[in-house]
Amino acid sequence: MILTAILAIILAAAVAPTLNRLLPALSHWVLALVPLSAALWFALQVPGVVAGVPVLETASWAPSLGVALSFRLDGLSLLFALLICGIGAFVVIYSGGYLRGHPREGRFHLFILSFMAAMLGLVTADDLISLFVFWELTSITSFMLIGFNHEDARSRRSAIQALLVTGGGGMALLAGLVLMGMASGHWTLSAIAASGADLRAHVLYPAMLVLLLLAAFTKSAQVPFHFWLPNAMDAPTPVSAYLHSATMVKAGVYLLARLNPTLGGTEPWFWALTLAGGVTALWGSAMALRSTDLKKILAYTTLMALGVLVLLIGIGSDGALVAFAGFLLAHSLYKGALFMAAGSVDHGSGTRELGELGGLWSKMPATGLFIAIAALSMAGLPPLLGFVAKELIYEDVFRNGHMVALAVLLLANAAMVATAATLFLKPFLGAPTKAAGHAHESGPALLAGPAVLAGLSLLFGLWIALPQGLLGATADAVRGGAPQSLNLHLWHGLTPALGLSGLTLALGMALYFGLSPVKNSLAAIQRLTRIDHDRAWDCLLSLLQGTANRITSALQDGVLQRYLAWIFAGILLLLGATLVMRGGFTWPGIRLDGDDGLGIVLALLMLGGTAGAIRARSRMEAVLSLAITGMSVALFFLLSGAPDVGITQLMVETLSTIILVLVMAKLPMLPPGPDRSRPAKLFHSVLALGIGGVVTVILLAVLDQPLAMDLSRFFGDTSLVEAYGRNVVNVILVDFRGFDTLGEITVVACAGLGVFALLRARMGKGGQP
Amino acid sequence: MATLPDLAPALPEIFLACASMALLMIGVFRGDGSLRLVSWLTVASFIVTGFLLLQGPEGRAVTFNGLFVADSFGTFAKLLILIASSLAVILSVNYLEKERVARFEYPVLIALATLGMLAMVSANDLISLYVGLELQSLALYVIASFKRDVAKSTEAGLKYFVLGALSSGLLLYGASLVYGFAGTTSFDKLATVLAGAEGAPSVGVVIGMVFVAAGLAFKISAVPFHMWTPDVYEGAPTSVTAFFAVAPKVAAITLFIRVLVGPFGDLAVQWQQVIQFCAAASMIIGALGAIQQKNIKRLMAYSSIGHIGYALVGLSAGSVEGVRGVLIYMAIYLAMNVGVFAIILSMRQSGRAVEEIADLGGLSKTHPMLAFAMAVFMWSLAGVPPAAGFWGKWAVFLPAIQAGLYPLAIVGVIASGISCFYYLRVIKAMYFDDVTEPLDRPTPTAGFVVAGAALFVFPVYIFFLSPITSGAAAAAAALFGAR
Repeated sequence: MILTAILAIILAAAVAPTLNRLLPALSHWVLALVPLSAALWFALQVPGVVAGVPVLETASWAPSLGVALSFRLDGLSLLFALLICGIGAFVVIYSGGYLRGHPREGRFHLFILSFMAAMLGLVTADDLISLFVFWELTSITSFMLIGFNHEDARSRRSAIQALLVTGGGGMALLAGLVLMGMASGHWTLSAIAASGADLRAHVLYPAMLVLLLLAAFTKSAQVPFHFWLPNAMDAPTPVSAYLHSATMVKAGVYLLARLNPTLGGTEPWFWALTLAGGVTALWGSAMALRSTDLKKILAYTTLMALGVLVLLIGIGSDGALVAFAGFLLAHSLYKGALFMAAGSVDHGSGTRELGELGGLWSKMPATGLFIAIAALSMAGLPPLLGFVAKELIYEDVFRNGHMVALAVLLLANAAMVATAATLFLKPFLGAPTKAAGHAHESGPALLAGPAVLAGLSLLFGLWIALPQGLLGATADAVRGGAPQSLNLHLWHGLTPALGLSGLTLALGMALYFGLSPVKNSLAAIQRLTRIDHDRAWDCLLSLLQGTANRITSALQDGVLQRYLAWIFAGILLLLGATLVMRGGFTWPGIRLDGDDGLGIVLALLMLGGTAGAIRARSRMEAVLSLAITGMSVALFFLLSGAPDVGITQLMVETLSTIILVLVMAKLPMLPPGPDRSRPAKLFHSVLALGIGGVVTVILLAVLDQPLAMDLSRFFGDTSLVEAYGRNVVNVILVDFRGFDTLGEITVVACAGLGVFALLRARMGKGGQP
Repeated sequence: MATLPDLAPALPEIFLACASMALLMIGVFRGDGSLRLVSWLTVASFIVTGFLLLQGPEGRAVTFNGLFVADSFGTFAKLLILIASSLAVILSVNYLEKERVARFEYPVLIALATLGMLAMVSANDLISLYVGLELQSLALYVIASFKRDVAKSTEAGLKYFVLGALSSGLLLYGASLVYGFAGTTSFDKLATVLAGAEGAPSVGVVIGMVFVAAGLAFKISAVPFHMWTPDVYEGAPTSVTAFFAVAPKVAAITLFIRVLVGPFGDLAVQWQQVIQFCAAASMIIGALGAIQQKNIKRLMAYSSIGHIGYALVGLSAGSVEGVRGVLIYMAIYLAMNVGVFAIILSMRQSGRAVEEIADLGGLSKTHPMLAFAMAVFMWSLAGVPPAAGFWGKWAVFLPAIQAGLYPLAIVGVIASGISCFYYLRVIKAMYFDDVTEPLDRPTPTAGFVVAGAALFVFPVYIFFLSPITSGAAAAAAALFGAR
């Protein structure tokens, strides 16, 4: 059924463009029915899952590769699935209103529904590979969504940046999952979790941890991989409302929560998560206070929320995980509402800049109301769900005495209070601006989402018993233990947490009223640290391109001679490395016997010839110098008792020299080429010496070893007996290899005929007038 | 006196040899203008050859005094080669006619090259290996410079010939060293001799093997023997590049596997590090080299270098699973490349062939289906799931990791990360850039091939994961079982 839900959404995506063409004004309402019914189905699973019975589904896929498509729905997956389908349905409706009349509206629905299916698969997948596949699908579809306004260069850049950062994280995820699968021997999350805690003691645990954290942190925009998220706000608002509040950026958080029972609870886990989470929360809060664009503000508060969620998983106590579940739900609801309402403000008034907004309350009362409710939830005020979540967080962190974490949370929450006030007070209750003059309220498509999400924030706050069971099941899934009973209340009585809430509120209001000095000091801090991640990103890319250019132009300049040089260099490397490392190579001894006098003279002659060829200024000189070497080799054969080989060599040498000289006499003189640079000369001489050296060493090593004598013995033994010849070489040529010789003669004859034909053709042409 | 060898295992090759001679005759007697007829007849003879291949004897059959082997490993590769060659011929006809080089020799040369490839794949001796390789190479040298009045094309042909001759020389030098120190050229006997040797292997054999490996590495354009690839890909007529990109690569890498796993299987310690080096270097150079390319054929050249690197990762694991992975990889590689080149071959602006990435600008507006197919191929080439390319990478990297080759896997992951960057550039051009000049409508044949390949890459492959994997597994097991 989970698979059916995913396939149904994919199907909806596939028909979206056609549907949009047929029913331009209604298609979004129709399409939203699909995720809505999926959400209903998921909601029906709540009682069973809360009772502790997860829904399991397996479809065989490629058994020989060990890949099965298996799904598992426990508390954590169910909460995410409900958010994805529920918010998704409203985002589809919303985008229909937001993009009304846009020529590519159908395509937008195609992308956003595909994303929804991928996200749903990601949070329900039990199989490691399916998890990775869905993870990458969310990256691709979000790339298409962020780059939807592709006429805008900034949009394109942001889309590519988001894809490369999260895609790189995806690779790390794959590597981490493979390591995990190999270390545990299981390829499903549930089996790995059930196999016990031995992964934490595994020798590869640090590698797994680093890779999986890298994946989660890039996806969930944790510092220092956070820079892509604010840039991704170039996307159309429905995308931000969906991807950057409740779904895509929470995928990393989901991964961490999912892996908590398997990998969590260790020192490195605790420190990595609390540090990254804490720093992200602070950074996000500070940047939210500094920004003036509604969507940018919301993006930075999302960073803060993601940081807090990661921090809570890192702390990992029972209470912290309950708080995690509560805050996850609260944040998804109020952030989705805020993003969509901000889009409505943009739509109605034509701007998102805080400075240009004011006095909208009379023009856009509904939008204002929803923003107010959602902002109250964000500020953590009763009776909203945000308040309950914040109380839970404070209570646990205070009880466990994580004082640094408590301070971070206090600051971050105070910043949220100030930001919430900024979002509502000035745009709606401030003095009317020019933009307010022509502002108008948005239609039902744009308001349905904010209304429902803000309403749920209020409803769940007042009636916390309603989501309580699911939140408990979520916390159980993250903890990975037996279910624990949960009893949440809006009103806790006079507790330290309530005191902390009061302090937060006071601090937040102080921040709000003293905003401009705070902004200045924040700006000063930023100037001080001078970390510009965006610029660093650009540098990284241009560094990559520069390196690529240099390497490629060095290797691939189109000159054949240089290709040859590289090929020889490659051979040198491969041969040398193989011999030294794997060949069982021993340095050969060089023996010089006393009666090798003539041999030494010949060797010196060869060296002289070679040196002459290197020094030669003209081709003729080089050919003649090489001939000296060749002749010396021939004499060497004569000396070593192989007169026939010596004669052959002598003939070949003479003939080739004569032919070369003849040809060169006919060739036009080439102008002397430009002198090669010193490095080039050095490279060539090193290469030549290297090849020569390796070949020499090989030959000496080879001579140290016995040659396989079977063939020599065979020919020696049988040439007289079977072929009646005393000259073994002759017998080999005309008898044992008779057919070969015939073939060779034929080839030579054919070549001769060819040359004759060419020559005749040329003469014939030349003869014509 | 020697009896006639058993011809049955080599029946497909014998048929194709006779068929190509007949095709040559038909072309000669019909004269110019017979390109279409000869092309379709060539495709028909490829199909008959494939049919004969499937009807061939079960199991492993060796004939021609041990020079020729037919087994299911070879059959798998040969089917891939025949598919690739057929598609190359089908896609070429229109291109050649539009470029005014419609000569019947083209399909005949492809048939001869294909025959050489089949012979390579079935080689069971260093001599038959060389004969098959040269039959293939000589035909390829000629078609690389098929547009003989265009300087770029002749330059490509000449470069390919000079470097190819050098690599053949290396291979022969290595083969003679092996012969001198092992006393045989037969793969089966080499395997027995090397397995029976005590202590460290003979230095001569090791050196010979490295030279043979270097010669073969040239044919699959693995780094550091890859220099010819970008120049030849760019210079050769596009239809020739489309052919070069697939069939010869499949043939050469199959031969490479057979040589290394078969006769030199006991020298695995020695060749594994050579292959690992080539794999890592190919992945890196392939990724870096493509970044700055503006010409899409050159981009595909670097892409093919990188992909050979990934395939070699599977080989360097040296296990059955690794070889299985390489076979799966090559099957997927075939589909992706045929599709991409079918699109490149259709890139024409008012009749004139263009090959810059910028010419694809705004393709999603003028030809949405074509752009979508290209995007699927690019995602797949980048190895992004759920496209087939991911499963190929999965199939080669998993055995490597199981063999403990972590550094290689890391290099591979980084390289595919970098390669995403340039595959994305093509997608960006098609979806985000403006139309400079709309491309002409592709021919129905090209459209058909593109659609088929794209559907195979995604989503059909996902459903065929199982049968293709088990086919490759059977082929790999046949190779290892013969040892």
